[in-house]
Amino acid sequence: MGQILQLNNISKTFPGVKALQGISLDLNEGEVHCLCGENGAGKSTLIKILSGAYQPDEGGEILLDGERVALNPRLAMAMGIQTIYQEHIVFDNLDIIENIFTGSELVKGMLLDRREMRKRTVEVLQYLKSDLVPEMRMGELSSGEQKTVEIAKGLVFKRRVIILDEPTASFSASEIENLLQIIKTVKQAGLGIIYISHHLEEVFKIGDRVTVLRDGRKVSAYGMDGLTKSRLIKDMVGRDPSTFYQRQKVPIGDVVFEARDVSGNGVRNVSFKLHRGEVLGVAGMAGSGRSELLNVLFGSARLDLGEILINGKPVRHSSPKSAIKGKMCFITEDRQNTGLFLPQTVAQNVAVANLVNVREFVVWPAKDFLTGDKYVKTLNIKTNDSKTRVVNLSGGNQQKVVLAKWFNTDGEIFIFDEPTHGIDVGSKQEIYQIMVDLLRQGKAIIMVSSDMPEVVSMSDTVMVMHKGQKAAELAGEEITEENILTYSIGDSAL
Amino acid sequence: MSQARTSLFKRHENLTPLSIFVGFIVIIVIMQLVTQGTSKYPTFISGVNLLNILQQVGVPGIVAVGMTLVMISGGIDLSVGMLASLVSIVTASGISKWHLGVPGAIAVGIMSAVVLETIMGFIISRTKVEPFIITLGGMITFQGIALLVSNSREVILNGELNFFKTNLIAGVKDPSTGLNLILPPYALIFFLIALLAGLMLTFTKYGRRIYAVGTNPHAAYLAGINVKNMRLSVYVIMGFLVGIGSVMLLSRVNTGIISLGQNMEIDTIAMVVIGGTALRGGKGNILGTLIGIFFLGSIGNAMNMLRLPSEVQFVAKGLVVIIAVSAGDVSSKISEFMARRKEQALARSNKDVQGGVGGIE
Repeated sequence: MGQILQLNNISKTFPGVKALQGISLDLNEGEVHCLCGENGAGKSTLIKILSGAYQPDEGGEILLDGERVALNPRLAMAMGIQTIYQEHIVFDNLDIIENIFTGSELVKGMLLDRREMRKRTVEVLQYLKSDLVPEMRMGELSSGEQKTVEIAKGLVFKRRVIILDEPTASFSASEIENLLQIIKTVKQAGLGIIYISHHLEEVFKIGDRVTVLRDGRKVSAYGMDGLTKSRLIKDMVGRDPSTFYQRQKVPIGDVVFEARDVSGNGVRNVSFKLHRGEVLGVAGMAGSGRSELLNVLFGSARLDLGEILINGKPVRHSSPKSAIKGKMCFITEDRQNTGLFLPQTVAQNVAVANLVNVREFVVWPAKDFLTGDKYVKTLNIKTNDSKTRVVNLSGGNQQKVVLAKWFNTDGEIFIFDEPTHGIDVGSKQEIYQIMVDLLRQGKAIIMVSSDMPEVVSMSDTVMVMHKGQKAAELAGEEITEENILTYSIGDSAL
Repeated sequence: MSQARTSLFKRHENLTPLSIFVGFIVIIVIMQLVTQGTSKYPTFISGVNLLNILQQVGVPGIVAVGMTLVMISGGIDLSVGMLASLVSIVTASGISKWHLGVPGAIAVGIMSAVVLETIMGFIISRTKVEPFIITLGGMITFQGIALLVSNSREVILNGELNFFKTNLIAGVKDPSTGLNLILPPYALIFFLIALLAGLMLTFTKYGRRIYAVGTNPHAAYLAGINVKNMRLSVYVIMGFLVGIGSVMLLSRVNTGIISLGQNMEIDTIAMVVIGGTALRGGKGNILGTLIGIFFLGSIGNAMNMLRLPSEVQFVAKGLVVIIAVSAGDVSSKISEFMARRKEQALARSNKDVQGGVGGIE
């Protein structure tokens, strides 16, 4: 049980952000070391440092077998550290053997030594007690089986450390069980494993040690003896609420939007009411069905069962077009790919969604520029005028263009998916203020967010989602980080 | 800093059509100088020759306008050439073999183009198959249908469509050479179509949406645009324009034959691309396409005047397309490089100044 890896005082600074501060960590042979923390706690940054993708700030050191190393992705792999990322980076059209050996093919003279590669693949798959056949094409495997192949790759190349980042995010229950079994086998082979998951039950099943990160700092480290889930949750949240954004409250009005037993697109039986002047926060872990729900509400995914009512009248949205006519607006999370027309001007972007409501045959570009300029001024978009192409604006200003696009449609029900994702602190506050202004005008907001302080500070009501269903609805004093996280994890046995 | 970058970007984005336009002028001047000495023929810049160019580009021009719409929406259409052959054969057969009468035959010809393009547009808009593949298949299919309809022979007319090449300005003579000037109706139809398409792209809801769909289909869908029907509609328009163009083409040569539309897809795509329309969609306009049309037309005309053999003309035309389209990118790379050099020099001199006089502050 020797020590393989040791991190001392690792920090990482990005322009304007301290992503990690003074993290120390170690990993032994035959051990599963779990990392816990909310979104944005610094887990991913830490992994990227270990895999060599990022270089830590000066002053920290990484020791491998007691020797100080500077890592880059090639070197990290050569030294036996394999990172398995959350998204699959695989060759769908190639089979398992080819996926394992691409980049480090075994050869006999000029030719590939297919037989040897197959032999080694079979050995490892048998060791892992997997029934996968080496000739299966990667694209035909489930995500659980693909993870198995990636772990097998680590064994084939005799890696010493395997890092798993949220491996079970899209797994079924039996697949999770399978993976945990495989990890136990790998652990017995003497490898060190760093395991990241927000499913605490997995942490308790396979973890030997746990380190909790919050806002880029190490909060605590535990062995498993006597550790409870509530202890971990307290450590993961534990922020001082008085430091959150202080939002002005607005009087709550009539119900403007209602969902009754909405199902479809992976969402089941979700009901809620939204009032004028209200922010309904939607919280939950990644993959809990939050974005899927939004798409159903906006008509961009099919509503299988249930009812949507706007101002008390049932509506059926066959497409976003009818939703927009029903005065709905959808500010998507991935603004560059789903919200903006990057090579076009601010004015063109602002005009486009309102085309649904335009009756005139002739539209004047000059008028669009006037409208665009108006929003540039009122929303404080940092550009000379609305003739600027959106691609040249910063993230915060791009988000404001998306907002302008929807304000221009005169909508009343605003759906925000991660409204401040990837936006600097200053613009964040501006966007919060814009949201409050909307409420003052009697409009209503549904806000999906993974940013816990944002959910707590902005929401009048919080709906917590878990596995495609509504797990809880919180209001007033009940809206705390701890409550939200507890329901998000979906664990009743605390 | 960001200010400088914006202006730099603005300078680049219209470089392709702009550099084409400059090249266009240069070629005209050279041609004028080369042809000036020979007194026998009209010089390049003369009423006769300019109208001549207009006659030559009229038909591909009409199709290029349609191609511009299709390409801005993010698609492409390789089938237009063979479709034009098919339409001319159908129309000619309608007149001389099936006795549908001239208007009836024209209607049948244009309708067949619209129907076939609609079918392709339907497949393209409802499936995820690349328009490149679908229209490639269309091209081969249409060639086959055209050969079947004509029994692999040519269908000859007796001037029934001569109306389309009546000279609108008969009797007007070129002041310098004394030759007759010819302005056929289809040249005007070409201008009318280009004008309508240009206005539609800029001043109608429909035009806006073509750009939106070509730039970012997913965002367009979420902005309430029916992306599928938009994609379908540009092919329907394309069918109509190919139909009109083919009838004009038939009127010029009086013979429906498979070779009529050969290479038309290549010529029109070249015209559109030279005009600054992006293959990935979302960018381009009719004005650029007009420049592309006349640029390629003038080069062809100039080489004819110089009596270059057609083999050489192909080589020259091909090279011109490559040079013209890459010129914009190369010049933007050069100016980017210069700007970077300037910035570095500036940074260096700033450093020197700080290092030298640092003590004074």
